[in-house]
Amino acid sequence: MQAFLTYSIYGTALFLMLLGLYAVLMKKNLIKIVIGLSVADSGLHLLFVAVGYINGGTAPIFSPAVAGTGTVMTDPVPQALVLTAIVIGFGVTAVALALVVRLYRKHNTTNIDEIKNLKW
Amino acid sequence: MKNVIIISLLGVTAYYLLSAFVSIPFGEDFINGVKDFYLNKSPEDLKVANVVTSIVVNFRGFDTLGEVTVLFLASTALGSILYRRRSSHTALNPQRTAPQASTLVQAGAKVIFPFTVLLGAYVFIHGHLTPGGGFQGGAIIATGFLLMLISYRKFFVEHNVLTWIEALAGTSFVVIGLAGLVYADNHNFLENFLPAGELNDLLSGGIIGIIYIAVGFKVGAEITGILDTLLTIKEAGLDPEEN
Amino acid sequence: MTDPVYFIAIPLLTAFLLPLFGKIYKPLIGIIPGLVFAFTAYISFDLYFNLEPGKPVIVQMAGWAPPWGINLVFGEFSGLIVSLITFLAFLVWVYSYNFKKVGFDNSKKYFTLLMLMVAGSIGVVLTGDIFNMFVFLEITAISSYGLTAFYKGRDSAEAAFKFLLIGSLSSTFILLAILLLYKQTGTLNMAEIAIKSQAIDPKIKSIIAILFFVGFGIEAEMFPLNGWVPDAYSQAPGPVAASFASILAKSGIYALIRVFYTVLDVEGIFNLLLTAGLLTIIFAEFTAMRQTRLRRMLAYSSIGQMGLIMVAFSFNTKAGVFAGLFLMFNHAVIKTLLFLASGFLTYSTKQKKIRDLDGFGKIMPFTSLMFGLGAFAIVGLPPFSGFWGKLNMLTATADSNLYLVIALILVVAVVEIIYYFKVIGRLYFRERHEDVNIQKPTWNAVLAMSILALVIIGVGLYPDFITDYLAKATNELFDKAGYIKHVLPSLSLN
Repeated sequence: MQAFLTYSIYGTALFLMLLGLYAVLMKKNLIKIVIGLSVADSGLHLLFVAVGYINGGTAPIFSPAVAGTGTVMTDPVPQALVLTAIVIGFGVTAVALALVVRLYRKHNTTNIDEIKNLKW
Repeated sequence: MKNVIIISLLGVTAYYLLSAFVSIPFGEDFINGVKDFYLNKSPEDLKVANVVTSIVVNFRGFDTLGEVTVLFLASTALGSILYRRRSSHTALNPQRTAPQASTLVQAGAKVIFPFTVLLGAYVFIHGHLTPGGGFQGGAIIATGFLLMLISYRKFFVEHNVLTWIEALAGTSFVVIGLAGLVYADNHNFLENFLPAGELNDLLSGGIIGIIYIAVGFKVGAEITGILDTLLTIKEAGLDPEEN
Repeated sequence: MTDPVYFIAIPLLTAFLLPLFGKIYKPLIGIIPGLVFAFTAYISFDLYFNLEPGKPVIVQMAGWAPPWGINLVFGEFSGLIVSLITFLAFLVWVYSYNFKKVGFDNSKKYFTLLMLMVAGSIGVVLTGDIFNMFVFLEITAISSYGLTAFYKGRDSAEAAFKFLLIGSLSSTFILLAILLLYKQTGTLNMAEIAIKSQAIDPKIKSIIAILFFVGFGIEAEMFPLNGWVPDAYSQAPGPVAASFASILAKSGIYALIRVFYTVLDVEGIFNLLLTAGLLTIIFAEFTAMRQTRLRRMLAYSSIGQMGLIMVAFSFNTKAGVFAGLFLMFNHAVIKTLLFLASGFLTYSTKQKKIRDLDGFGKIMPFTSLMFGLGAFAIVGLPPFSGFWGKLNMLTATADSNLYLVIALILVVAVVEIIYYFKVIGRLYFRERHEDVNIQKPTWNAVLAMSILALVIIGVGLYPDFITDYLAKATNELFDKAGYIKHVLPSLSLN
């Protein structure tokens, strides 16, 4: 059971991440590439949260209900890190979309094949 | 051909990553690291109930300053990427290309908007007590503005006001940090210099609450600004500058 | 005593306030960043020269001692790089101070992005926390995407998009590595990881190492993930290309060597670095020879130089690191001069082609002279500073008994001479046929280029001027136990 959980949860998150990277590398549409970036980021964030989980743990908040009861709490550090990573991912996505708008204005297309310099 | 190469490359990456990650059994608490210190110190010394908040704003507060900077940077970069000269008349008379929303949506948006902003404010004010915080609250406020932006073609946010909010909120974060160098016991950047209060009180956690309010304002203003910049753009091919 | 947090906090504070300064009095937008760069350069030199030997300045954030809080380490190695970055950032500001083309509203954004890029690079160099390093690396990266796409009308958006895609790949890899490292050691502090990482399963450790290697390698322009470099360098404004070469690439290579020298010791990683460096050199220098555009040629040459620096650091010997630091210094100073000079040389030519530069030596004597001086220095001719860098590199290679690498470095030096002299030949030994509207360098550009030229000649004539500092930095980088002892006084490396 433990091994199944480990494989399936990490596997799903990694699959999501690699699916995003696949879209980034293979898709021809600029918007789809940006979506791919976003999906890859989400997979990575899921991985962070999954790694921080501790069996039977609650959210690491000492609300009056749990204070002093010795409840197991999940690891707060990956949750704090993922918050930072989400904001950074948001910033990158926003800049990417702005660049797509610029490219569309200039070339009147979102197809990567028609934008010469992007092929390499 | 390219397809095969890329899929096999991703497959190899997947294999090695999975083999590294399965060494971490899911849900088992086997490392003996910094987290126990945080779980102990947060309620005892800082009097902050939400441990994630105390890590984000206090223990690793410097990361959060970087994070706020990333958002500021994204909105500045967006402005510089999509900037047009004032001479083109669209800058003076902005237009949205989206069609007008239906009356039902407009009426609904008007009702929901103030409550969304209120919820966002609640979330960032209670960031040290309940799940959430400055980033989440700011994002909720920005969704309220997004709702208005897509429902009303003539709803424009005042960029001047956003600039002031961004600048003042960002400045107050850094100034609170610098004040720690002067007033706090150990004279460190971002160190708490206010009384910690009582656990689970609204006025607890010293500077954490104040920083999260500044972050909430800043994030709300920045995301709203980004959304407005992305929505208010003109059709392609009409701008002489581009050619 | 100056607190090293000022190097990051003051540029950030100014960047947040810059829009408000613009509302008060518009010329402040140009002046304030200069004052900030001058001030950070001053305090970093002040702190660096007053550093007690073997005692880095370590500050904690938020009053928590490492490993619980984030700490900054200003030592002989990181201090040297920070001083170099702040000095070059100031010169880039001097050069771009009155760049009339863009207008005030745009120059506000330009200076904000530039200042944040510099603050991010300083953060990467100073921080003692691996995740914090990632955050600052992202600040540097996002501001460089914005700066690359700064000019409209050219292909800048394409270049920036390409850069952004590869940069996101890099940040994904770095985050994965950090996550694995956190779960294996339970900490994010670099000194504590250095202690605890010895217990990690070697297989997982090598996966972490490769993830870091690829992630930081992208920022350090490593082959084969450097497709963004020529596009970004040729599309960005001139001073920005200069700051990419001198600041962005430096923070990438710094992260790479900090992680592999101090944090993780993995067997075989230096061989991998050697291979990647050699491939980078060969690919870049031979591609540079075939370029017809000046900026792209300089960009490929810059990649080649970064490859040489990687090779120097891959020897894992003191001589190698010393040579690597010398090369880093040279690359930062000389490449900045070349990019600044090329900005004016290609200003009036539409295609930015090398063949459009015929006879510019007579029309633009000062800029051509500066370009020529930079070219002589970068290929390693005496009496310029580039000579000493290459010489140290050759002796370091000989010490490591890598004779094939020596042969390769010499062949590459010949290739460099060929393509740089091709440009110089066009500048000085061709007649100009058609008239051209030239852009005279402004006084501040002349000042910036002259200072750089003086540094190049000064270090070339008196290399002892910097060798002392480089040797100290080398010793500090090798003193891993000392680094850990200073950051975590209660723990030690067993």
